[in-house]
Amino acid sequence: MIEVTGLIKRYGAFTAVKELSFTVRPGEVLGLVGPNGAGKTTTLRCLAGIIPATAGTIHIAGQDLTADPVAAKRSLAFFPDEPRLFDYLTVRQHLAFVARIYGVAHHEDIAQPLLEELEIADKADQLPGELSRGMKQKLAIACGLLHAPSVMFFDEPLTGLDPLGIRRMKDSILKRARAGATVVLSSHLLHLLEEVCSHVLILKKGEKIADGTLADVSARFANGEANVSLEEIFIRATGGTES
Amino acid sequence: MFGALLYLRLTSLRNTVLSRVRRLKQPKYLVGAIVGAGYFYLMFFRRMAAGRPPVHGPGAHGPVTVPPELLPTLLALGALILLVIVVLGWILPDQRAGLTFTEAEIAFLFPAPVRRRTLILYKLINSQVAIMFTAAIITLVTGSWGFLGGSALTHGIGWWFILATLNLHFMGASFAMTRLLDNGITPWRRRFAVLGLVALVALVTLAWLWRDLRAPAAADFESFRTAAAYLNTLLTSGPLPWLLRPAEFVVGPFFAPDTPAFLAALGPALLVFALHYIWVLRSEVSFEDASIAKSEKRAAKIAAVREGNWRAASGAIKARKPAFRLASTGRPEVAFLWKNLLSTFPIFRLGTLVTLALVILIGGLWIDVFPGYRGVQTGASAFALFMVAYTLFLGPQLARQDFRSDLLNTDILKTYPLRGWQVMLGQILTPVAILSSILWLALLILLLMVHFRQLAWLTPSLRLVIGLGLVPIVPVLCALQLLVPNAAALLFPAWAQTMRNRSERGIEMLGQRLIFIAGQLVVIVLALLPAAGGAALFIFITQHWIGLPAAVAVAAGGVVACLAAEVWCGLWLLGERFEKFDLSAELRP
Repeated sequence: MIEVTGLIKRYGAFTAVKELSFTVRPGEVLGLVGPNGAGKTTTLRCLAGIIPATAGTIHIAGQDLTADPVAAKRSLAFFPDEPRLFDYLTVRQHLAFVARIYGVAHHEDIAQPLLEELEIADKADQLPGELSRGMKQKLAIACGLLHAPSVMFFDEPLTGLDPLGIRRMKDSILKRARAGATVVLSSHLLHLLEEVCSHVLILKKGEKIADGTLADVSARFANGEANVSLEEIFIRATGGTES
Repeated sequence: MFGALLYLRLTSLRNTVLSRVRRLKQPKYLVGAIVGAGYFYLMFFRRMAAGRPPVHGPGAHGPVTVPPELLPTLLALGALILLVIVVLGWILPDQRAGLTFTEAEIAFLFPAPVRRRTLILYKLINSQVAIMFTAAIITLVTGSWGFLGGSALTHGIGWWFILATLNLHFMGASFAMTRLLDNGITPWRRRFAVLGLVALVALVTLAWLWRDLRAPAAADFESFRTAAAYLNTLLTSGPLPWLLRPAEFVVGPFFAPDTPAFLAALGPALLVFALHYIWVLRSEVSFEDASIAKSEKRAAKIAAVREGNWRAASGAIKARKPAFRLASTGRPEVAFLWKNLLSTFPIFRLGTLVTLALVILIGGLWIDVFPGYRGVQTGASAFALFMVAYTLFLGPQLARQDFRSDLLNTDILKTYPLRGWQVMLGQILTPVAILSSILWLALLILLLMVHFRQLAWLTPSLRLVIGLGLVPIVPVLCALQLLVPNAAALLFPAWAQTMRNRSERGIEMLGQRLIFIAGQLVVIVLALLPAAGGAALFIFITQHWIGLPAAVAVAAGGVVACLAAEVWCGLWLLGERFEKFDLSAELRP
């Protein structure tokens, strides 16, 4: 469960996120969409506790992220668009390190099936430098899933993946959501929203333009027309410009 | 076409200079430039201006401090060194000729209607900027080596001849070796051929010298002058002068003691340079494939350097066995120690530390039994003292297996369920362990090897107490020192990012590094003052009542407590800063 109330993020005089409030329940997948510079990544980074919000409250799995960040972070996982890995740690060593950070007892019992599910078990002793972009992404996912998070944030999860990798990533997100995880993802790819997201939140210049289920948002911007594509909905909602 | 290439080179050069000048608008670069320029002035220009003759005008060449009769020997020695470098250039390479182009140059120039010869010429002109800069810097740093005679100008031009001719020679050699490779002569066959030729020449020369010259006698080593005279006879007899002659032509301008000699040396040097130039331009071998591979490697290296990843840049990363087994549960800070130890050399392990300590202990006690080995003790003590000073002053700059190396992974570190101080503590554990180990070993050497006869008050029991007292002080002191560069990375990440990028050059970068080292020293001195002052006062007051060893022991405990408190405060403050840290905002221009 994610509860966001009055989230504001300022960089000096520039306000990147303005008074944002929304709730995502277990099993829901919320897609954050908007033109470039809309504040999607900033919002995700605030929700994941990477950057402090200027104002507002964020509750992750019932824990206040500002008051008790350690407890809140135990329940979440953040997957950046570019997998950030440690150059000197093999796949297996990455999992051992993350297990110790999160205190995952007997992590080998969890890690092995996870590596097999993500099809990188045969790369367990390789360094990130020896892995392809897709394999690195899988390793980052394995690290994020090791502590069984109930809340997940994906920033542009399909970046750099091949068609098979895209299919697997979508399946993986849906699988976790069906298992009861709360998922928020940001993407420019509207087909990803159609296939994976149950809810959508459209941002423009840091402000919420619309949110709700895909059907609700589509109905709001369809102006009574039938068969309006999601792309058209997005363009109508955002005014067709970045500014 | 060549005009376009020249335009590319000159425009790139002009834009580089302009961007360097423009960035002086930022205070960090301006202050760095001022400090760097001041350093250069104090270290080199002032010395040259004060102690060296003027470059031009009457009295341009001062008295030659090297005896004139030694100059031919030095010239021959210089030529011999150059010849050895040239021979190595024919032995070591094992790849096809590949001129170094940037990725952009390859993308634009390789598909363009440009002749191969024009590309070679372009590379030759390109390399001149670096060669001229290197020649100028060597001349500046060596203070123009006025003892050889000549002037800064003649030495600068002399260096240019040496470097430019070597550059041409290596390029020509790489083309020739590629041609050999195309004709089925593998690198090993070529090496055997070159080594065989070198051995043959050496044998003939030795035989000649054996026949014509006498073996060196003790009298030849009585003084520097007699040794030089014998060496001169060796180098100017038999076939050696002929062998060395082309190389002597190249180094001739550098060794010229005055202007007439310099002008006379220019002709032969230019002749060798021109012959090399013709040789290279006439060498038509395919270098494109190797150049592309080289360029890709270079681009990856630059990307790694920009991320501050030096091991990746040197291509030396390989999976290692961890220093210890990491349990799944326990203090999370230990995970950082475990992780960061994996990023360093495998010698930094507990087993190595214990083994070295045992070797030093046994060796120190063994040497102590034999008075004849006092020299070894003195040498070892001097080495240990040097290690202590080096580790204390430069250790925190060199052991960077901490937050500085993980700066770009900040986003991930911040998602971990840890307080900021826990991350910072975990991050500094590895450099603390490395630096402490080196200091402990050096202190052990000092404890065992230093002669204490002149210091009667330094009794064995007091030495032991001081040694034991320093054991816990060392890691706390190292931690305190490491807080400074880590704090800098957190407080001024943009600066730290630039400092990490060792490919960034220029006077302003030198100045920035100097400011940083000076700042670190000031902070450390200020942090040490309360502990050191308190300890000194305590020992001074209490030594008459409780005895010196006991006073030192208690004072050492106080120093540890004081420094530990400072470290804890520092970690807490850094942790607070880390929790509010936003790298993307900090690096925003």
